[in-house]
Parts: sequence; C-alpha cells; structure tokens
Amino acid sequence: MSGFNEWLTTVPDDYAPKAMAIGLPSKRLESWKYVPTRSLSRTIWQPASVQADVGFALTAGRFINIPEQEGLKHTDNVLTDLEEKRISRLSEVNGFALTQAALEQSRLIFEVQATKSLDINLGHLANQANAAGFATLVLRIGAGATVSLIELFKKSEVNKPNLGSIRFVITLERDATLTHIRFQSANGQAHIFSNIDVCCEENAHYRLQSIDFGAKLARNDIHIALSGIRASASVNGLAVTSGSQYHDTHLAIDHVVGNTKSDMTFRNMVDEHGEATFNGRVLIRQDSQKSATEQSVANLLLSDTARVNPKPELEIYADDVTASHGCTVGSLSKDELFYLKSRGLSEADARAFLQYAFAEGIVERIEHEHIRELVETQLLGELTHGDLIAELRESVYV
Amino acid sequence: MLSIRNLHARVGNKPILKGINLEIDQGEVHAIMGPNGSGKSTLSSVLAGHNDYEVTDGEVIYQGTNLLDLEPEERAWAGLFLSFQYPVEIPGVKNIYLLKASVNAAREHRGLPELKASEFLKLVREKLKVMQMDEAFLHRNVNEGFSGGEKKRNEILQMQLLEPTLALLDETDSGLDVDALRIVGQGINQMRSPQRSVLLITHYQRLLDIVKPDFVHVLANGEIKLSGDHTLAERLEREGYEGIEAA
Repeated sequence: MSGFNEWLTTVPDDYAPKAMAIGLPSKRLESWKYVPTRSLSRTIWQPASVQADVGFALTAGRFINIPEQEGLKHTDNVLTDLEEKRISRLSEVNGFALTQAALEQSRLIFEVQATKSLDINLGHLANQANAAGFATLVLRIGAGATVSLIELFKKSEVNKPNLGSIRFVITLERDATLTHIRFQSANGQAHIFSNIDVCCEENAHYRLQSIDFGAKLARNDIHIALSGIRASASVNGLAVTSGSQYHDTHLAIDHVVGNTKSDMTFRNMVDEHGEATFNGRVLIRQDSQKSATEQSVANLLLSDTARVNPKPELEIYADDVTASHGCTVGSLSKDELFYLKSRGLSEADARAFLQYAFAEGIVERIEHEHIRELVETQLLGELTHGDLIAELRESVYV
Repeated sequence: MLSIRNLHARVGNKPILKGINLEIDQGEVHAIMGPNGSGKSTLSSVLAGHNDYEVTDGEVIYQGTNLLDLEPEERAWAGLFLSFQYPVEIPGVKNIYLLKASVNAAREHRGLPELKASEFLKLVREKLKVMQMDEAFLHRNVNEGFSGGEKKRNEILQMQLLEPTLALLDETDSGLDVDALRIVGQGINQMRSPQRSVLLITHYQRLLDIVKPDFVHVLANGEIKLSGDHTLAERLEREGYEGIEAA
C-alpha cells in the first residue's frame, strides 16, 4: 500500500501506473531494509500549496524567486541525453523513486557559465499537513566555474506528516568545483528525501557537507560518478538522531576512470529511540588504476535503545590503488568521561563535552562560516548541558 | 588531611591493594615508590574515583569526609587533583574549554564567582609561562597529538590552575627528558604550600631530587612495606626493590 496512490491516479505521468503497481519499497529491498515506511504508507498524501518567501526556495515542489544573476542561466525542460539517462536511472530504482518521478511538480535547469564563481542559496519551506512536494534541480556547472550551493531548511512547526523531496542532477565540467552544503533541521513530522546524482568530469571537484538534525524520516541518496581523470569527491556528513527519528544516508562513489580521488567521513550520533543507517559504497573499476579512496564511519550510541546500521562497502577491481577504511560503533568512552569528571565537570557536562567533540569532527569542516555557526548553535541547543560549551566558545575568543 | 586505613581494592577478581595504611598531613609531600605492578597507579585511581576499581575493605577519610562515597567530580570539587600517568586525548575539545570549565567548576564549589574571560586569560597565560608552554596549546584539542612531555606539562598546568588541596601525581616524571623533568619539577615545587599536600607516585628517584619529599614509602605487592624520609629514595636507587619485596 502506498499513501500516494490517490494522488498518483490523478497524474498523467508514465511513471504513475508503475509506481502504483510496485508500491513503496518493503523491508525486502536491501537499500530500504531499515526505513520505517509506516507513516509514508498510512498518510493520504496530497499536493502541498505554494507559500511565499523572500529568497530562492522550494515550496510545494516548486521553485520560487528563481535567482537572476550574472553567469547563472535557467532554462526549462531541455535535458541532454546523458541527463535524460541519469534521470531515468534515478526514477526506476524502486517504488519510491517511481513515485518521485510520477509526482514531480517542477524541474528547474540551471547553467553556470564557464569560469564564473557564484553562490546559490536554496531554502526549503515545510509543506503543510499531509502534503508533499516533489521537484528536480538540474545543475550544469561550466568548465572552471566555482559554485557554492547551500540548502537550508526553514524551521516551522507542522504537527502532522509533511514531505519534501528534491532530486539533483549535477554535472561538473572540467576544472569546475562545487561545494554543496546542506543543513537539514526540518520539523519533527517532516519526511525529507534528497536524491543527489553527481557527475564530475576531468579535474572537477564535488565537495558535500551534509548535516541532518531534523525530520521524522530523512533519507539521502547520493551517487557520485568520477568520470574524468583527476576528478575528486569529498563527502562529510553528520546525522544527529534522537526521539523516534530515522536518518538514512546511502552514498555511492563510482571511480569510473583512473587517477581519481574520493573520501567520505560520516558520523552518526544516536540517542533515545533514534535509528540511523549509513551505507557508504565505493567502487573502483578494473581500469581505474591509481585511484585513491578513504572512508571513515563513526557511530556514537547514547542510549540502550538507539540503533545504527552502518555498512561501509569497498569494491575494488583495480590493483594499483590506495584505499583505507574504518568503521566504529560505540558509546562514550569511560576513560574520557573519567578524565573530564576528575577535572570537576559534572557527568552531564562531561557527556556534553564528548558529544560535542564527536560532532565537531564534521561541523568544523563546513566551509561556510555562517552555516557552520548555525549548525554549532543547533548542536549546542540539542545537547543537554550544551549551554556550558556555548558559553565557553563565546568567552574564550573575547 | 588524608587518612587511608586498611584499603583493599581489586580489578575484576584480582586483588591489587591489600591493606594500605597512610596518613598525609597538611603541607606534606609524600612519595610512593615501588616496582611495576605493585599497585601504585591503582592507589591513585582509587583515590580519584575510577570505577574500574572496586574497594573491598578499608576507608579513606579526606578532610573529615569519606572520600570513597564521592563521585570523581565531587572529589575534584573538594580539592583533590589527579595528574594522570596517561592523560586522555579528547579530539574535538579545545584545551582552553576544559581548563576554563574546570577552573570555574572549582571556583563555584569554593563559593567564588566565575572568572571573567579576561581574568581567566591573564591567569592561564601566567601559568603557561611557568610551565614554559606556548599559548597555542590552549587552542589545540585536549592532549591530542601532544608528545609525552607536553601531556605531562599540561597536567601540571591544570594543577596550577585548579590549586588543589591534595594533588596526586601519578608517574608525572615518566617519559620526560631532562629539561621537561626540571620544568615539571619546578611546577610542582611552586605549588608547595603549608595548605597543600602532595602524593607523588614514581618509579625513580630523579623527580625526587627536584621535589624533595618529606616522606617516602615503598609499595610492594599491594602493601606499604617500608617508610622513611627522602634518604630512603636514595637507598632504593642504589639497592633496588628486591630486598624490600622479599621482606
């Protein structure tokens, strides 16, 4: 059963009958094994209505206030063959992807002119109760351009299930760089889906810093193809999961050609009844010699009922590569707690220090000062006794 | 100030301390020496409240209260300080955060107001100078990537800032080169006062050449086998522990 069926019957899209026939993914599908789909199937989803905002934003599956700036051009619905192919591939992987494709309300194509340097700031507005929005942003970054794409989720309380879904199809031409920062702090009933498909041509660099705090259910599917030599991908992610939240990141990096580099560092901090899944897959193909990849996944469990499902996967078919990986799951270190307490910190303060330290490993890598500060504030606000660290941070820089 | 009576402790099922008796008065510096595995570090861990160790008998009275009833942080608030043999690295926490949080916690429990940012910086700079440490240490993560000597200096820096009533220094001299040993030794000497007691735990006499103890005790096989003045340390250096262990 899918809560989207009623809506699917009203859209003419080719994908709709297929989406209805297949339904939402079940636990039998490996990549959706842990996803609690109950609220997706039990809510009768309907299209959201567009809300006003000041900046460039996504609301009800539609982009509003599309920025007009030099070097950034937007066009409608003319995809390259390769983009078509990538979108079809994205659309057909499972029943939810089919639903995304069928219910897509808008598609925006951005072209960044070669050698330009610019910022794109996208706000996500929460959709109304029982309402959802689906959209796709195609981003073509011309040769040698440098772009910073920042996604911020606006905080607003919606006390019924709501859903926002975005797909990105991103192409970086040679020598281009994209720094993509997403800070997800959606409301507690939100279902947030982010599907990011990236292709890096020669010497292009994709850098993602992804922070998830909010939502009832948040799922990130990230696929990066390093298609040209000297291309690189660097992904840093943090998910802070508590209450009965579920956070899921499926990240795949494909070293399509040799002489490419990737690194992924991901941290899950899970408390109460939260559950977090991280699946990080790196593929180095047989002819992709002289490639390098580093993978580090750390999971911190703060309660007996917290769960994590980490799955690092390295698939290496070439013989001349450097690869390292590490994955840890644990609770706060007793020795570290003892050290801090022996210095007069209360148990709660000591725990806050160590949780902060764990998250900080990712937060300090955010390459945007304002967002980094927003994330710090959110982090310290979520920690019991985070106020002590907040005061310290302020006071020692006076 | 500190009275240890018939203290027995174990890790898991293994008894380590087998009836320690020790009296430390205000202003005194005591040194505990002993071979590897004699229970020296266990004693300091038990006194600081590490919960890997289980006290099976005996008591520890510190300034009239039963120390063993207190949590580690309560012991710190009561003026107890442990310099760790292996200071813990805490990536992600800046040294200055820990220093400031601990100084303010200590002040709060002494009924003193929190130090203002400028007052704290002034104080910490003064102490850094004593320990011949660069200000960059403040902004590095706690002990992360510090050399052995830097870690030990950082411990004594904390002691300087926290001004404990009783300092337990667990092998603070281990892993130090001659210069670092001198700096650390001077840092400890500078803290000697009629109000403050120190318990030094060490293998070797070399720290005791700089910090002259009032009393020296030899710990072997979980018990204090011999006590004396600082000349005992010299004797041990000459003769080793063998004769004492056999006694």
